[in-house]
Amino acid sequence: MFVTGRIFALGMLVAIWIFILVGMEMAKKAIPTFRKLAGLDALPEMVGRAAETGKPVHFTTGLGELNTMMASQLIAGLSVLSYVSELCAKAGVRIIYTVYQSQVMPIATELMKAAYTIAGKPEEFDADDQVRYMSGEQFAYATAVQGLAERERPAANIMIGPFYAESMLFAETFYRIGSIQLAGTARGYQIPFFAVVCDYLLIAEEIYAAGAYLSKDPILAGSIRGQDVGKLLALVMMIVGIILTALGSSALINLLKM
Amino acid sequence: MSMVFKRNIPIVLVFVTALLFIMEYFVTIPGIDFKSAVTTVNNWGIILTAFTLGFGAVNLFILHTRHISRRTKGQWPFSLWMLIVIVLFTVVGVSTGATSGQYTWLYSSSYFALSATVYSSLGFYMTSGIYRALRAKNVESGLLLIVGIIALAKNAPAVASGLPIIVPWEAWISAVPTTSAQRGIMIGAALGALALGIRTMIGRETGFLGKMTEAEKGG
Repeated sequence: MFVTGRIFALGMLVAIWIFILVGMEMAKKAIPTFRKLAGLDALPEMVGRAAETGKPVHFTTGLGELNTMMASQLIAGLSVLSYVSELCAKAGVRIIYTVYQSQVMPIATELMKAAYTIAGKPEEFDADDQVRYMSGEQFAYATAVQGLAERERPAANIMIGPFYAESMLFAETFYRIGSIQLAGTARGYQIPFFAVVCDYLLIAEEIYAAGAYLSKDPILAGSIRGQDVGKLLALVMMIVGIILTALGSSALINLLKM
Repeated sequence: MSMVFKRNIPIVLVFVTALLFIMEYFVTIPGIDFKSAVTTVNNWGIILTAFTLGFGAVNLFILHTRHISRRTKGQWPFSLWMLIVIVLFTVVGVSTGATSGQYTWLYSSSYFALSATVYSSLGFYMTSGIYRALRAKNVESGLLLIVGIIALAKNAPAVASGLPIIVPWEAWISAVPTTSAQRGIMIGAALGALALGIRTMIGRETGFLGKMTEAEKGG
């Protein structure tokens, strides 16, 4: 019935699912609080600065693709795009979203159009100009974004999603033109690059919590609590694993191999 | 109706597809071929990708034709060049085939060479970023400076051969504090992705679908 070697992983998936559902249920009774995420709190300031300078805001979800393991980071980025688009629409700031994977274009267009409609300015949204397909090739996309940065000089640059070698090309180019920058990725190798250059940084799991954080939805916040219980479970398992291994027992390793 | 198209149908599609992929990975039920169902869904994805590539091309043509007709300063010559290159690649690719000598030559002599050049330039961007980062402004940046110097020295053969003591230091920094921090980040990220996936599956995380307007909520 169950695939051997994956039974424990399935058990963990079910357990975390239950934690999340319980967390969401508990949030109906007592609203959980988030710790402050400076990067997300700074978004209105970034849009405000763009409004003052009369320059656009640039948004990218990096090399996010809908049909790979990186889809979750792309979805996290799109949640922030929706929020920032609404802020920009209200402030009368032009937001430019540069697209790497063409499949994302219709989704981004729809959510940005909805954001402008909610802000009461649907006529100000120009899909052809604001949702720009650059290229599906990594360095062609990177140079196209760099070109856009040099020509349009955005006041703010927001990068949330999976990034690879282009992370430093983007961060340095936008730093050089004086953009205020927020970067967030769950790709461990790129986090240090963003940390040294960008003004604000979202590290790994913070990008996945961004949608819940920005929506201020207590039920979504409850799901983050459930996720934290999962993290606690992982921590306990690590400690138990260290103790058992030190005592010469391979019980936990065998359990993981189930 | 809008609510059905913009929310309900996408959420049901996401739930069913995700459940199918989960089942295929974890479960085997005699008589049910999850693998071929997953392959079929993946093939649909490939077809959709090809279809949406058309959207991308149309977007490029509209945007850059606009730049050319308006003679946008500092942009329109590049727009014109890009459209010429797109047409050239399409004509050569369609007429001779994507594996033909002509198309391969065109790709290798233009995109491949340019791509390698851009990748190589990364070294300079990293250097300028690190130059600004390695400044002892407080305790944390001071630590970063020390670790950065050790890592740089270890990777410079001239320094490492004259000062071999730094080789085990760097190895320890890489193997112990760096690896443990990376693993912590990795576990947190994996759990975050899992939670996001579950929220998306059950229709709670809808940020990527955009907000609903009042008319859509009502209608």
